[in-house]
Amino acid sequence: MNWIPNTFRRRKLYDDLSEEMRLHLEERTEQLMGEGMSREEAGRQARRAFGNRTLLEERSREVWQWPTLESILTDLRYALRQLRKSPGFSITVVLSLTLGLGANTTIFTFVNALLLRPPAVADAGRLGEVMERNAKASGIEAYLPLSYPGYALLRDHNRTFSGFAAFDGDPHPVSWSRDGAGLMVYGQLVSSNFFSVLGVEPALGRFFQPNNDQSGPDAPAVVISYSFWQRQLAADRSVIGRALKLNGSSYTVIGVAPPSFTGIILGARHDFWAPLAMTPTLIHDPDRMGSDTSSWLFGVGRLKPGVSRGQAQADLSVLTRSTRSSEPNAAVLDASVFPVQFVPSPFRGYVTAFTGLLMAAVGLVLLIACANAANLVLARAMTRRRELAVRAALGASRFRIVRQAFTESLLLSMIAGAGGLMLAYWSIPFLLNLTPASIPLFLEAPLDWRVFSFTLAASVLSGIVFGVVPALRSTRRDLLPALKDERQLAGPRRSRLRGSIVVAQITVCLVLLISAGLCVRSLLNARSIDPGFSTNNIAVAQLDPGSLGYTKSQDREFYRQLLERVRELPGVTSASLSDYLPLGTDRLVHGVHIDGFSPPPGLDHIPVQVASVAPDFFNTMGTPVLNGREFSSADIHPGSNGVIINQTMANHFWPGRNPVGQHFKDDDETVEIIGVVKTGKYRSLGEDPQDFMYRTLGSQSQEFLVVRCDAGEQATLDEIRKVIQTLDPNVVPMEMESISQYMALPLFAAHTTGLLLAVFGSVALLLATIGLSGVVSYTVSQRTNEIGVRMALGADRLDVVRLILKQGMRLTMIGVLCGLVLSFAATRVLSGLLYGIKPGDPATFAAVSLFLVAVAFLSCYVPARRAASIDPMKSLRAE
Amino acid sequence: MTETNPRDLFPGALEMMILESLRRQPAHGYALVQHIQQRSNNLLQVEEGSLYPALQRLLKSKLVKAEWGVSSTNRRVRTYQITASGMRHLEQQISSFERMFEGIALVLNPGKSPAS
Repeated sequence: MNWIPNTFRRRKLYDDLSEEMRLHLEERTEQLMGEGMSREEAGRQARRAFGNRTLLEERSREVWQWPTLESILTDLRYALRQLRKSPGFSITVVLSLTLGLGANTTIFTFVNALLLRPPAVADAGRLGEVMERNAKASGIEAYLPLSYPGYALLRDHNRTFSGFAAFDGDPHPVSWSRDGAGLMVYGQLVSSNFFSVLGVEPALGRFFQPNNDQSGPDAPAVVISYSFWQRQLAADRSVIGRALKLNGSSYTVIGVAPPSFTGIILGARHDFWAPLAMTPTLIHDPDRMGSDTSSWLFGVGRLKPGVSRGQAQADLSVLTRSTRSSEPNAAVLDASVFPVQFVPSPFRGYVTAFTGLLMAAVGLVLLIACANAANLVLARAMTRRRELAVRAALGASRFRIVRQAFTESLLLSMIAGAGGLMLAYWSIPFLLNLTPASIPLFLEAPLDWRVFSFTLAASVLSGIVFGVVPALRSTRRDLLPALKDERQLAGPRRSRLRGSIVVAQITVCLVLLISAGLCVRSLLNARSIDPGFSTNNIAVAQLDPGSLGYTKSQDREFYRQLLERVRELPGVTSASLSDYLPLGTDRLVHGVHIDGFSPPPGLDHIPVQVASVAPDFFNTMGTPVLNGREFSSADIHPGSNGVIINQTMANHFWPGRNPVGQHFKDDDETVEIIGVVKTGKYRSLGEDPQDFMYRTLGSQSQEFLVVRCDAGEQATLDEIRKVIQTLDPNVVPMEMESISQYMALPLFAAHTTGLLLAVFGSVALLLATIGLSGVVSYTVSQRTNEIGVRMALGADRLDVVRLILKQGMRLTMIGVLCGLVLSFAATRVLSGLLYGIKPGDPATFAAVSLFLVAVAFLSCYVPARRAASIDPMKSLRAE
Repeated sequence: MTETNPRDLFPGALEMMILESLRRQPAHGYALVQHIQQRSNNLLQVEEGSLYPALQRLLKSKLVKAEWGVSSTNRRVRTYQITASGMRHLEQQISSFERMFEGIALVLNPGKSPAS
């Protein structure tokens, strides 16, 4: 390929060629004149004998070019020139597509972050993640992490993994004492072989020496994350060997993880990793490692060469059953081995359904944008008929013209694709902020090569979709009328095509708007669901002094002083403690025995959810006590047997009777009902009423402090922080938020879908409106003559407006009808996300359709008015 | 890209005739057209202009070279000259063309021997 030097010589070559051809014609002309022709006739004869000079010159030039690339470049330059010539058209198309592609890129980035990109480990395909599975349970409930003894058994006796590691699924909030003040950081407990099994190499220092994980706290060491090292330790290379004081004990930093490694499960932020052997010291839970009933570890193993996940699963299942052989349900327990992915297999279904729904919505938006672009290109093709006819007359082949048309549409869609990436780049941080602040969720949504490829593919595809019809149409050989600049009179075929594009747009738009309408109404419903407690004027803080090694009596003393001081704060009306807040992520179930009721099949007790609360809890939370009383300080003593139940439990077990004063057995302890409170929502806002009971606060160290305040919640939170500081500067609250911030979590799904669909619906509406008014305006411009004639013959303005509106509204009505039918089918998929509203809600359907018709009416009315203001004389004279 | 006039000639025929003409004597484009038309007794209806893409191809593959000069009739002309590799190329082309022609003749006139 010597085309590069050729490029520089080329100008000369081309000039020579032109000159040569000119001289040739001149010589022939002179010769013919010598034979007695007139100059004019000789010139004509010479040109005829020569052939199509332009074409031949182009052919000759092509000899010197690197053919494909160069002709593409030529097409591209020409396309750019064309687009610059009609900036209004180009900008509208690019903006339409940018919105569509931007929305798609944004949502795809999340699909990629959640489902596609693999964790940064070596050869993730040969790893297997291990949980226990209860064959009798269904959904997520069936999966259970491993206990430490369970893990150790699998590690030591499996025959299918070359290495088998474990990690704690939950990040532990840990207080890091830095210069005397506590800072909340998150740590993960991992087996000593964790990094070596995953095949991760340290960025600095080393990882843990593989050992039996039990050998005690003789080497308290941590590996810190790259981002923690950057953010908190100023990327100081001398950090290796330094000590960090975590939850009251000293740990030596032995290594820094590589920047790409953020763990292998999504969502948790890890500032450091500590070996399992440090479990008793770090989280002050001395019993956890030895307990075979506490399930907290995920297994992860590297498969031996030639071993499949299925074989590994069979191997581990046998081992799992043997460990649980003493239990009654051992037969239904087996091991489950699934691929190492950021969202593990058991949870993928939910994530896929949610993101799939959003992907479908943005796909529809893109479709509308493409329809818009196609419509605009078609309209422009009309004005470019002459240009195309001239090109065809000059010898451009059909293929060449189609290729040129595609070059233009692809150029537009590529520009829009770049715009879409930019849009995604700006909107992703905004969307990441939608995640509730209350959970330490750490989600990375990088624009990596997968996102770029997706956007490129989506751009090319939309370029083809909106370019193909206009491109093929542009080559219809109606040269003569085009060259003569005849106005195509009615053009029924063309406007029928454009009309059906608009119908399709309105259809899709209505589907999106109805979905959005349903989600927004569902969000409003969800907000108005009574959770059973007040959703304002409550400040919440979660504390765990036990993590600093407090003894039980120190714990009690800490909380007693805390409550005392907080209650004295200005603006605070009451304060209380609880080990549980409704609609959170935890739950605790007790088995009870009530006279006259037998347990559900397969159980030897009736399961009832339970929480432990301090005096004044219901008063603080704004939960009405319907009968009896709530706990008072008199109930706080060892052996206290008071219990408060909710209305649902009262109706369930003591119907028509006063439950206060009744007794039942909570495990083996006989308890007495002292009060009945209003039923609330405990696990999700959509749940049916559930039985619930409250006991008095025991000696747990991790508690929620709830504070009712008249003053602003933020101000009160600041005051509470100061109180905690004075009690112990190393105690760091895990969560400090207002109750409305807390409620963001249960409302998250409803909120996100409602917001996103509303945004997408508005974009769709905007695009469809542009499309509709574009088509109507175009018709007006094509029918100027006809309108002029009609007005000259006596039609008044109203008739003209009616004429134009009729066309637009006919398209709208067809679109709305199709849209309604499609929506009935499409909104079924939303049913799982909707609160208190059916997918086929007639009110929403009717209201949204009316709204769309009204908007469509307005967007037709503007061009119709313009048509009505046509001066008949002017339009006729223009002929 | 390598289109000649599809009605009359097969690909490469025009190039071959140009090279043959140039072997006899260097010439400019117009003279080449005249020469080819006369020699073929005007049997070959070639668009005059189609000579130029063919000349560019020959120039590019260095089978001919071109120079601006002044003709005997005192016109400014660009004269083409065959190169050594052009000569070799022509020999090959002619012999392969003859074989092809022989083959075609045998098929068209099975009775006669083309050699006689």
